[in-house]
Amino acid sequence: MFEPGRLCVKIAGRDAGKTCVIVKKIDDLIVLIDGETRRRKCNVRHLEPLEKTVDLNEDASHDEVKAVFEKFGLVVRDTKPKKSTERAKKQHKKKVKPVKVPKGQKKKKKVAAKKVEAPVVEKKPEVKTASDAAAAYVKEEVKK
Amino acid sequence: MVSGKFKSRTFRRVKITTPGGENKISYRHRAPAKPKCGGCGAILKGVPRARKSEIVNMPKTAKRPERPYGGVLCSKCTRAKIKDQARQTKI
Repeated sequence: MFEPGRLCVKIAGRDAGKTCVIVKKIDDLIVLIDGETRRRKCNVRHLEPLEKTVDLNEDASHDEVKAVFEKFGLVVRDTKPKKSTERAKKQHKKKVKPVKVPKGQKKKKKVAAKKVEAPVVEKKPEVKTASDAAAAYVKEEVKK
Repeated sequence: MVSGKFKSRTFRRVKITTPGGENKISYRHRAPAKPKCGGCGAILKGVPRARKSEIVNMPKTAKRPERPYGGVLCSKCTRAKIKDQARQTKI
């Protein structure tokens, strides 16, 4: 039933309802189809065979199928060959290689700058209120 | 006190926690009925169950399957219909 040259209608998928012809039998279940549908492998369970067959060589090219289909007034789906889009390649920053020091010479150690300590100013307790001043005065008196 | 329209069960109720930590009830629209096949009545796959206003903003490919009768008939009914059409037509 599903031999090369058999016209079929695809009943499943986005190409459903479109006529196609079997180009090649790949497996018990899987065939290669072409025509109004895309040129693709297909399960025979997704095909409804028609009564008509056409003369086609096995593994016929897309142009041969196109010539046959134009006789029936059917429009063959043409897929344009994909063009690889040119993308601007990213320019990576080059890493600067460290300069190698020959053996024997030691690397100079970085001399850490000594911190200059700021002179600590001793703060004298400031007398704020009159009562504190009085308390401080009493303490001094006691010490004497 | 809730507004009068929220007292009926037209809206569904969802418990939410506000940013301030309060528990409140918010009122949302109910989802529409699931889309069904025109032939056998089975639930359609690949068709969103959402309000019209949400579906309008979706891309076309998200609204229905990309096959003839997609979004109207289920896949089984579509196959049966195309088979019948193919047997009647003569090339």
